[in-house]
This record gives sequence, structure tokens and C-alpha cells, in this order.
Amino acid sequence: MVNYGADEVSALVLDIGTSSIRAGYAGEDTPKAVVPTSYGFTPQTQDPLDVPMEAGGDPAADAAEIKKKAKLHIGQHGPSMFRHGMEVANPMQAGLIHDFTPIPSLIRYAFETGLSCNAAEHPVLVTEPPWNTPANRERMAEIMFEEFQVPAFYISNTGVLNAFAVGKGTALVIDIGQAMASVTPVVDGFVLRKGLASSALPQLVHAHAKHLLSTPTQRRPGGIQLIPHQLISSKQPVDPAVAPIYSLREDRIPGVTPSWREWYEGREVDEWVMSVAGVLDQGWNDQLAASRPPRQYEFPTGFNDWFGPERFLVGEQYFIHSAQMVASNPNIPKTLPALIAQSLSACEPDLRTVLLGNIVLTGGGSLFAGLGERLSNELMRNFAHMKIHAPGNPTERRFGGWLGGSILASLGTFHQLWISKEEWQEHGKAIVGQRCK
Amino acid sequence: MAGGASAADVRSILALPSPSTPGPSQPKPTAPKTARKPEGISRELYSLIGPSAPSLTAQLAKPRLKQKPNLGRGNKVAKWRVLAFVWRVYVLKEEWQEFSNPGRADSLKLCHWVKATTDPTAEYQFAKYNVPSTVYTYSQDEYNRLLEDKDWTKEETDYLFNVVREYDLRFYVVADRYDYPGGQPRTIEDLKDRYYSVCRRLIRNRPWAGDESSKVQLVASFFYDKDREVTRKKYIASLENRTPDQIAEEEALYVEVKRLEQNERRFAKERDELLKTIAGVDSGLPGVAADDEVQIALFGDPKKKKKGGNGMDIDSPISGPSGIISLGPSTPTRRVQSAKSVAYDALHCILRSDVMPTNVPPTKAAHQPVYLRSSRLPMPKASMAPKINQALAELDVSHTRLVMPTRENCSQLEGLFDAAAALVDTKKVVDKVDQEIRVLKARLAGRASVGARSEGADADSKNQGEQAEDGERDAEGEAEGEATEKADRAVSVAASVRSYSRKRSKRSASVSSVDTSTTSATRASRKRQRN
Ligand SMILES: Nc1ncnc2c1ncn2[C@@H]1O[C@H](COP(=O)(O)OP(=O)(O)OP(=O)(O)O)[C@@H](O)[C@H]1O
Ligand SMILES: [Mg+2]
Repeated sequence: MVNYGADEVSALVLDIGTSSIRAGYAGEDTPKAVVPTSYGFTPQTQDPLDVPMEAGGDPAADAAEIKKKAKLHIGQHGPSMFRHGMEVANPMQAGLIHDFTPIPSLIRYAFETGLSCNAAEHPVLVTEPPWNTPANRERMAEIMFEEFQVPAFYISNTGVLNAFAVGKGTALVIDIGQAMASVTPVVDGFVLRKGLASSALPQLVHAHAKHLLSTPTQRRPGGIQLIPHQLISSKQPVDPAVAPIYSLREDRIPGVTPSWREWYEGREVDEWVMSVAGVLDQGWNDQLAASRPPRQYEFPTGFNDWFGPERFLVGEQYFIHSAQMVASNPNIPKTLPALIAQSLSACEPDLRTVLLGNIVLTGGGSLFAGLGERLSNELMRNFAHMKIHAPGNPTERRFGGWLGGSILASLGTFHQLWISKEEWQEHGKAIVGQRCK
Repeated sequence: MAGGASAADVRSILALPSPSTPGPSQPKPTAPKTARKPEGISRELYSLIGPSAPSLTAQLAKPRLKQKPNLGRGNKVAKWRVLAFVWRVYVLKEEWQEFSNPGRADSLKLCHWVKATTDPTAEYQFAKYNVPSTVYTYSQDEYNRLLEDKDWTKEETDYLFNVVREYDLRFYVVADRYDYPGGQPRTIEDLKDRYYSVCRRLIRNRPWAGDESSKVQLVASFFYDKDREVTRKKYIASLENRTPDQIAEEEALYVEVKRLEQNERRFAKERDELLKTIAGVDSGLPGVAADDEVQIALFGDPKKKKKGGNGMDIDSPISGPSGIISLGPSTPTRRVQSAKSVAYDALHCILRSDVMPTNVPPTKAAHQPVYLRSSRLPMPKASMAPKINQALAELDVSHTRLVMPTRENCSQLEGLFDAAAALVDTKKVVDKVDQEIRVLKARLAGRASVGARSEGADADSKNQGEQAEDGERDAEGEAEGEATEKADRAVSVAASVRSYSRKRSKRSASVSSVDTSTTSATRASRKRQRN
């Protein structure tokens, strides 16, 4: 075996994010299984004969009573399929696991359906956000050892892993996900916790986009109806900005739950953002925004329109908040430049130059059109020596945390860090904090 | 499980139920060995040794990331796995083996692929990287005798040493995680100061087996001057905190000073000439220099230490008796510093850069503001950079990361680039001469055959035509004097190079011998001196 640092023990890597759960084998370059984190569930109180819980798995002891009796719908055909009375939930909050009840089922689905493997035969590396709580990570260890019977376990945070994914041990990692944007200084493979800065900025951007679409304007007097395509039986082509002509599937309407509706609208907005929204690379400028070509987008109702300068207003939210917005919301999530400034000011002055020279931009949200260029321009103004490293390959950005885990778990030097089942049984929860620093 | 390829192996590879062995249910598809070129890896490894000290991450490599994402499903994947398996077992003679890692305290057994010839009981190859760093420990008695400190309790000192051990002396991380319950807040300087002073005291007072000088050396390696570090940090902070306005003001002041100096010089020169014409005397410039020295001694302001020699007259109306305006270097020759200022410099670790040449116009470009040396490492000349990098790569000299950019290291790196540039230049000349010789030889051969066919006027006229064609090639046999000499020289150089390269492969682009590089380096430096 060529001795260059890699040694495979066929470990599994599991990265749980707000948008998706990523699972795969260490040493590979993309996760084989990508499962949406949002899941659907239908309460099963009325029908005792029905098979309990599709995805199986013993619910944890403190499982909520309703969800115990609920049938879970996980995966590509989970929440996105229409089912009468199906609710949709997401166990994450602020990037952390908030509700552990569905977590074992979700993980089991990723391992058994996505990878067709038995976790009891593989060491498992799990990721966590840098601001994870000790209780949370211990709980994850417990689930892995007790419920999945893994032979070895390790939990490593996404800040460090995102730096590893681009081959750096020291970096300032800017991770823009679905719920949270964070800036994490990493030195020699350790997070400097005092320099950690994060905010719910992506949610603000999302809310802004939703508001922009649904608010009536002169051009679109009714606003835009975000009606799920599952509820539409037929539609006719119409001209841009003209009221749509469509008919609803009346039979389904009574079975629609508010949580499913909201989940669907969120997805529709996300899709619009991905294909239409953007940000100007030199800051807001009316003329420049007007000179950029407008983009057309069609919604499930058949309504379609050209989006001009307004599509660039969405991206501004990442960088600047209007005075009026700040005044109306004192807890408004910090912008990217503010997060970076906060993080740097908490670091030793000696480190700042090094960190600024090794900025890593990652996370699915960083794929937002024009965001990289704008960030680079904003930072250049204050820090002449800064250098941003952003993987060009979109999958590497969306799965940066997973990829770093994949690299880490296949290193020969790493194998002495695993928490073995024996150690878990001997030391209990305390070992997690001692080993995973 | 051992014993080469058994049916059970294939079974486990294909994830078929196997009666006895709990093999891996899904060993990953693995690229054949050719995909893991060590050359590629060393580059990856290299990129990891960042500006900070190497650590666990230094052994980090990107395994097989160039591999295309495996989008195929089902059948394709299964086939790939079987292939990979066959490759491993039959070609690489590897086997899936259980191993335990002596770097671990427990008995965790993991499986991995290893060469079948490897002794399964051999120590795990990566265990050697689990090197615990040495952190001093002390007894209660030692603490009481040597380590008491009014700012620190024994408990907190113990805590500090534990954290330092836990994070392998990475003080940035130590300072980040340091959280002594009920203790006062500590800066990174506090922590380093306490840690290193304890270490120094322990070394000094413990019995020492070696000689005195090695002990002194060891103690010196634990030297830490907290006040200086704090001051340094303040400087960095103030450097960072300059507002754009302040920076602009600094620039403007600098330009203004330069302008004043120029006026001064012109004034002094005119006065000199006037004195010479009228009174026939020299305006004792050396005397002025001495006076200046006195001023420094008198007013002893370290900020004005940069004062160079001068062309400034002490009586000049602007400078005045206090000499406050006598700032800035104004003559190219650097004056010898007084012994006192040398001592001052040594004490405060001040390194003086060479005086800027005066013929540079007082523009922005000439102004060098304060900067961190690590942010301006020497680089090869842009026009030559690719060639230099290639030459250095061939010589196995890596230069892209200077871990410790001290002044000496920077100047050595610069020397390396100069030497490499000279080497590349030499190589270029050698190539050119080689080519010329080849052309001449070909022509000679052509001439011989032409001559054989027809001697006389025809050949002559043809020759002339040829000469006109490539007028620059002046090394024709008939060419006289200078040209001949030049050609001779070229031939002799070429011959020596050829005899050298005959020993090595003809294709090697650059000569990799230390001797050659040093001679070219000295030649390069001589050239520089001439300029
Ligand atoms: N091309 C794109 N343009 C804009 N946004 C995108 C693009 N691709 C993905 N995204 C956004 O990236 C987000 C998902 O990113 P990522 O997978 O990093 O988040 P996560 O890790 O699941 O969430 P978090 O880190 O907040 O827990 C989604 O909100 C998605 O809308
Ligand atoms: Mg994420």
C-alpha cells in the first residue's frame, strides 16, 4: 500500500443539514445518498390495523405521542408526494437538530435505502455545526451506538471539514446553508470558538424573495399564487404577467394541511431564487440593475413573468440591510460582511492575515448567482491581502462538509481518534467531549 | 479474515449472505493503484502545510478526488466493485484484514486493505504519527520551591498545562478554549508567559546531564518576552486600524518630506558652489555629518534613527538648531551607525533596511509603508517565473512556502531565485549555441557536398546569397577576427556542456548539480554588483 496518508476502513460519513441529509462511504468524492431532511407524516390514530411506521426504528423514549402513531414519509417520494392529511416537518432549527424523534428513521432511511448497508458493520463519522451543544452531540453518539450498533463513532464539525475539503488546515470558512450563514475561523484543524459568528441570514433572504413574489404590485395586481402543481389539474398558456387560467383538483383541496402547503411554497420560492435571483457584483446601482437582462420564470399555475431589477434586490439582503428594515427589526440577522468583521475582530491580530489569505466559501447558498464576486469585491475594499477559495464544482460546495468528512475518515492518522463501542460502554457520554475537540 | 481470495471474500464483496465472516457489506469501488500517484499526493500534502506549523492536517491528503462522481447505479456499480475486488486480490495481492491500532488505548479493530505479504501482526503503519508532544510536568515540591506566582494558583497552572498538552502547544487554540472556572480572563500572552516561564525555571533548576551550553540553548528556546509581544500586537493593531484618511495623510506627508529634502539638497549644492567660487573653500561636509551624530546622541529620539547621512547644512534656515526636520535618508551611502545605536537596535530587535536610493523620484512608488514581512515574500521575476519554477521543481527544491520568513530566510530565498535565474539564462545560451553549431555543421556538410559537385564561382555566389539571407549568423568560416573568436568561444562552451550532458540524459532540461548552480549564482551576483 502506498503510504501517503490514506487508509480505508470502509467508514460511513453522515452529514445532516437543514435541507438534506448526506450519506456515503469515506474516500469517495460525493455522497451516494442525499435525502431531504423534511419529512411527511400522517397521523394514524383512526386505523389501528395499519402497519406502524414505514421507516421502522424504535422511536426514542421521549417520542411525542402523536408522532409515535404517525406514519413517516421520507425521501424523494416523501413530502413531495400528495397524501391526504399529510403534515410536513423538519427536525432542524438554526442548523441544529431540534427534534430527535424522526432522526433515527431518517438516518436509517439514508443508510439502508440510500446506501443499502448495515451501519453496524461500519465506523460512522457524523458532522455537526460548530455551534452544536454538548447535549446534542452526546445524543447523536447515543443514537449511533445504541440504535445503530456502530463499531466506532466520531463527530466532527462542518467548519473544520469544509476547510479539509479544499485541502486547508487553517482557514476562515464562510458556510451559507439553508437556515444559517456562518463564519468559522479554523486553525490547525481546530475551530476557534470565540471567533465563531453565525446568523439566520439565508432565512431572511428567503423571506424577502417570498415577500417579493406574493406582494401585489402595479404589474402583478394579484401578487403571485404559489399553488402546488399537485393541486392543479389543467392550465393554459398565457402571456407574461397576465392572470393565469387553470383549474384545481378540487378532490385534493380538503386534504391539504397548512404545513404541507408552507413547505411546498418554500420549495417553489427556492427554485425561483436558484434560477432567477442574483446579486450585482459592485453594490446596488439602479442603472446597472436595469441594464441587466430580465429573466422569465413560469409558476405551476401557468403564470409567468419577466423579472428585471427586482431579481437583484434579493441578493442585496446578503450584504446590506436598509435602515428601515433595521429599525423595524432590531434582531435582524447579521449580513455577511458584518459576520466576517465580527469573526475577525475576535481573533488574534496575528491570525487575521493568515485567515484572510485562506477564506473558504462554501455551502449550497454560496451558489447564489453573483454572490462570490460580490463578496470578493466587498472584502477587497477593506482587506487588500484577502484571498477567497471557492470550489468551482457546485457539488463540492453543496457537499463540502460531507466531502471533508470523507477525506478525514479515510486518513490513516485518523483511525486512532474513533470512539469505539468499547470506550463508549466504558466511559459513557463523557468520552464524546474528550475525544471530539 | 486472511488467506487470499476465497469464495467467502467474493460473497462478502457482492454483499451476499456469508455464513461465517462479518466482512464489509459494501467495500467501496476503488480506483486501480495507478490512480493514486504519490507525485500527485505530495502536491496535495504540500498545499496543507499552511503558514502555520504542520500538524495532523499535514498528513491530510485528498484521496482520489479526481475520480468522476459515480453516477451509475445498480449493475454498473456492482460490476465496478467486482472489478476493483479482483484487482485488489489478484493484481495488488491485497487482502481485507483486521488490524488494531497501537496508537489507541482500547482494542478497536477495524478492517482495511493491505498487501497480502504484510505481516498481520505488524504495528499499524500510521500509529507512528500518534506522537504525544512533550509538555513539562512538575511536582508539588517543585511548585512550592520554584513556581509560585502571585497571579497564578497551582490549580490554574495545572489547568493551563493540561490544556496545553491537550492541544499540543497550539497556543491560538489553547487561548480559545482556555476557560478556568472562576479564574480571571487570560490573554494568549498571559498564557504563553506563564507556560514558558515555568518551563524555563524547571530546566534551570533541575539536574542537567549534558553540558552547560546545551542547557543554555534549551532555556533560550523557551524564551518569551511578554511585553514585547504585547507591544508588537499593538503595532499590528494600529497598522490595521489606520483609516483610509490616515493612510492618505501618511502618503502626503512622505511626498512633502521628499520635496523638502530635494529643496534642501539643491540649496546646499548651490551654497557649496558659491563658497567654492567666492572663497575657494570646501563646505566641510564631514563636519556636518559629525554634528548630526551629536544631535542624535543629544536628542536621542529613536524615531529619528532612520536619519541617513546628509547633504544638509546645519545652518540651513529650515532645519534650525534643534534639527527637528533632519528626517529621512538623503544620501545613497549609508553612514555607519554609532555604537550606541547599534546596541539599541540589537536590544530592540530592530533591523534596518537599506537606505533607499535617492535618484528615485519622490513618488508614491518609492514609499514603502510598514508591512508584515510574511505578506511580501520574494518572488521570482514574473517574466522568468515559469522557467524558474520548472527548474527548481526539477532540482527538487520547493520554494512556494516559506514557513519562517525571517530576514535571513527571505534573502536566501531571493538568492535561490537569482541562482535559478542565472541557471535558466545559462541554459538558454547553451541551447542557442548548440543550435548555432548544429546549423553551422549542417551548412558545412552542405558546402562540402556542393564543393564536391562544382568548385568555383558558382559556389561563391551561392555562399554570398546564403550570407545575405541570414545576415545575423556571422560565424561563417571565412568571417574574420572577432566573429571567429566568438564562434570559438561558443564552440568551447558548447563542447563542455555537451560532454557534461552526455553523462546525463540529453533531454534533461536543466543541469542539476550544486556546483553549476553556485557558479552561476556567483556570476549572477557579480552581474548585479556591476549594475
Ligand atoms: N444554485 C443555487 N442558487 C441559490 N441557492 C442555492 C443553489 N443551490 C442550492 N442553493 C440553496 O442552498 C441551500 C442548501 O445548502 P446546504 O445544503 O449547504 O444547506 P444545509 O447544510 O442543508 O443547511 P444548514 O447548513 O443551514 O443546516 C438551499 O437553501 C438551496 O436553496
Ligand atoms: Mg450546512
